[in-house]
Amino acid sequence: MNAPQIQGGRGVVTRAGGVALLALAATGAGIALDPQRALWAYHAAFTYWAGIAVAALILLGSFHATKARWPVVLRRVLEAIPRTLILFLVLFAPVALGMNKIFAWVDPQGSGLTGELLHLAHHRHAYLNVPFFLVRQLLYFGTWIVVGGLLWRWSVRQDAEKGVGLTVSQRRLGTGALPLLAITLTFAAVDWQESLDLHHNSTIFGVYYFAGSFLSAVAVLVLALYALRREEPFRMLSADHWHALGKLLLAFTAFWAYIAFSQYMLIWIANLPEEAPYFIHRTKGPWGAVGAALFLLHFVVPFFALLSRDLKRDPRKLAFVAAWQLVFHYLDIYFTMFGGLMPAGPQPHWTDLTALVGLGAAGLAFGAWQLRRAAPVPVGDPYLQDSLRYQPQ
Amino acid sequence: MKSYVLGEFTEEAALVAAARSLREQGWAGLDAHSPVPVHGIDEALGLERSVVPLIALIGALTGTVAGIAMQWWMNAVDYPINVGGRALVSPPTWVPIAFETTVALAALSIVFGLFALGGFPRLHHPVFEVEGFRTASVDGFWLSAEVEPARAEAAAEALRKAGARNVSRVDDEEGT
Repeated sequence: MNAPQIQGGRGVVTRAGGVALLALAATGAGIALDPQRALWAYHAAFTYWAGIAVAALILLGSFHATKARWPVVLRRVLEAIPRTLILFLVLFAPVALGMNKIFAWVDPQGSGLTGELLHLAHHRHAYLNVPFFLVRQLLYFGTWIVVGGLLWRWSVRQDAEKGVGLTVSQRRLGTGALPLLAITLTFAAVDWQESLDLHHNSTIFGVYYFAGSFLSAVAVLVLALYALRREEPFRMLSADHWHALGKLLLAFTAFWAYIAFSQYMLIWIANLPEEAPYFIHRTKGPWGAVGAALFLLHFVVPFFALLSRDLKRDPRKLAFVAAWQLVFHYLDIYFTMFGGLMPAGPQPHWTDLTALVGLGAAGLAFGAWQLRRAAPVPVGDPYLQDSLRYQPQ
Repeated sequence: MKSYVLGEFTEEAALVAAARSLREQGWAGLDAHSPVPVHGIDEALGLERSVVPLIALIGALTGTVAGIAMQWWMNAVDYPINVGGRALVSPPTWVPIAFETTVALAALSIVFGLFALGGFPRLHHPVFEVEGFRTASVDGFWLSAEVEPARAEAAAEALRKAGARNVSRVDDEEGT
C-alpha cells in the first residue's frame, strides 16, 4: 500500500519556526537584561522539552522490545519526536555557555555558597566540574541521537525495501538500547536538575524525571495524532488505538504519582539532615501549595478522568487530558527546579513563558519538518496490516 | 420459571446475523456460545457494558477508606505508638498499606463479583442440559434466548426462521 505524504504540515513548520525564532529572540533579550533569571527559565524549559524527546525514544524502544504490533500505524509520528534531539543539542549551547550563572557549583565562592554547601561543592568537584560536565552532555546526546537516528533511518528505509529484516534490526537496537537510554537519562537528570541544589540527594530522582517525561511523551504523541487525525492515513486510527494510548496515559499518571510518593516517603521517614531540606521548603508556604496542586491536578483529577472508558475512546477528550498533563508536567519541573533556587516561593518571570514556548515551538517545527520528509506511516512494515486491524479483547 | 430456547448455526457469520435479526425482532436475553471468539457478536447481541468495572471501583474505594481508617484507629487511637517522635496521625505512613488494601479489595471484589454474576453456587448453565450443545466447544455456534415459558414456541420459530438447526428448549425449574 502507499500512504500519501502529509499535506497540511508546511504551514505548521513555518509558523512554529517563526514563533520559535521570536520567542527565543525574546528569551535572548531576557538573558541580556537579567542573565541568571532568564538562563534559569531557559534551563527549566530545556529540561522539560529535551526530557520529553528522550522519553519518546524510550517509548519507541519499548514498543520494539515488546514486539508491539498495534502502534505500527502511529510509529512514524513517534519516531519523529526523538529526531528533535539533534536540534536540542544545538539549543543546549546557552546552558553550556551560561553554566556559571545556572549552577552554583561552577564557582562556589562566587555564587555565595557558604558553610556546608561550600564544603559539598568542593567535595563533589571531582564529578561536578565544567569539562567533565560537558563531556557527559556529549555522551548523552550522542547516545540519543545515534539510537534515534538509526531507528528512524531503518524505519524509513523499510518503506521502500519492505521485508522483515529491517524490523528485526529495529527490534534488536530498540531493545538493546533501553538500558543505555535509562542510564543516560538518569545521569542527565542528576546533571540538569539534582546538581542545582546541593541539598537535593534523592536516589530515585532519575526515575522521577523519567516518569514525568514519559507521561508527557505519551501526551505529546496523543496531541500530535490528534492534530493529524484528519490527514488521510490517520483516519484509519480506530477508537481502540486511542483507547490504548489512553491506557498508557493512565498507567504513567499512576506511575508518576507512585514514584513521586516513593521519593517523598523515603525522605520524610528517614528525616536525614542531608536529604530533608529538599522537602522542607517544598511542603511549606507557597511551594507547599504548588506541591498540593501537583498531587491533586497532576494525579488525582486526571487519574479518575482517565478511568473512564468513554473518555479514552474519544480523541477530543483524550487530547484535552493529554494537554492538561503536559501543562502540569511543566509545573512539576518548575517545582523541582525553582523550589530549591527560590525557597521563599515562586517568582514567575516573563522569560519562563518565552523560553517554554520558544523551545517547544522549535521542537514542533523540527519534528513536523522531519515527518514531512517521509511517509507518515511505516508503509513497508509487515505488521502495518495487523496494526490497522487492531481489536483487543 | 424461565425457559431457554437455543439453536445451532454452522458458521460464525450466520450466528452474528441471527443474533442481530432476533434482537431486531425484539427478543431479549440473548446469548451466544461458540468455540472461538466471534467478531462483532457483542454488538449483534446488544450486550450492555459489563458491571464488573463498577464493582471493582466500589471495591477499590472501600479498600482505600478501610485501609486508612484501620491504620488511623490502630496507630492513633487503640494502641498509640510514638515512632521516632513523629505525629501519631501521620498520613504519609498510611499510603503504602492503603494502596495494598485498595488493590486487594479491588481484586477480590472482581473475583467474587464474577462468581455472583455467574450464578454461583449453581455450577452449570441450564442450556448444558441439551445433549447437542456439546458442539459449542467443538464446531457449533449456538444462540440462546431466555424467555417466559409461554413465549418459548415463538422463540423457537424465530430461531428456525433465522436458519438454526437442532432447535431445543430447556425449562429451568431451579432458576428464579
